Amino acid sequence: MTDLVYFEDVQVGDTHRFGQYAVTREEIIEYAQQFDPQPFHLDEEAAKKSMFGGLIASGWHTGAMLIRMLCDHAIPGSATTGALGFDDLKWLKPVRPGDILSVETEVREKTESRSRPDIGVVKIASRVHDQRGETKMTLVSLVLYRRRSARPAAG
Amino acid sequence: MKYWEDIRPGDTSTLGSHTVTAEEIIAFAKKYDPQPFHLDEEAARRSIFGGLIASGWHSCAIMMRLSVDAMRREEMAGVGSPGIDSCRWQKPVRAGDTVTVRTEIMETWPSRTKPLGFIRRKAEMLNQHGEIVLTVIGIGMFQRRATAPGSGA
Repeated sequence: MTDLVYFEDVQVGDTHRFGQYAVTREEIIEYAQQFDPQPFHLDEEAAKKSMFGGLIASGWHTGAMLIRMLCDHAIPGSATTGALGFDDLKWLKPVRPGDILSVETEVREKTESRSRPDIGVVKIASRVHDQRGETKMTLVSLVLYRRRSARPAAG
Repeated sequence: MKYWEDIRPGDTSTLGSHTVTAEEIIAFAKKYDPQPFHLDEEAARRSIFGGLIASGWHSCAIMMRLSVDAMRREEMAGVGSPGIDSCRWQKPVRAGDTVTVRTEIMETWPSRTKPLGFIRRKAEMLNQHGEIVLTVIGIGMFQRRATAPGSGA
């Protein structure tokens, strides 16, 4: 089995590109009905009359799509154990039906946890792009990585 | 209708509540965040969380729903958000938890280029024990009274 990437293995400046998330009208509306029922996420006609000029995904839905791409491509090979949260999230451009999203990540900073010697915090900047290379959303996640030194011997 | 001018720094509010079920935690996780501690009761019990917990993005989504429902009730002219300053998942949200959200307006300022105004709001999600499980400081955009269609201004 391939060894996992632990806190010690992560280097500031590491970059990765991955993901291909096809955004559909149905999924935009389904998410909006459950979590963000504002007219421009829910109703094509109302969205056309809004400042967005057409149906757009909830920004929180774009965040959910980002975590899905991270789960599919980045998290499986990493000794991560969740995240503390994120900073500086910017919804730069609307996500619309037909968009195909991908992710670019860059490691910004590593900090050893003061309270938990088995854990380190890694600041990872994620940029969500569309098929034209336009940046839709950016944020900086605070990801918890297990430390190699704390790995059980039988690992 | 309530416009940007009607929102003032220091305004506080308590939004509605929502009881989180295992089914909805798992449904969200299957679609968006399929990590074992969000997806599978057994695997979650063996994880550092000791049981099934909601995806942090699911907690944010629940906070959004409670915010939108409150905006509708109060007929606030919200038109989206340019972003979030910070989001912290402070404690796990578990199946059976009943969460509510309290908010405080930190500052407001007008757009220089659009007929809109901005607000910075702190929103804290609390569970039934009164523990803060999620804190989001974010920016909201609202229509301005003077420029709203049909406002007569």
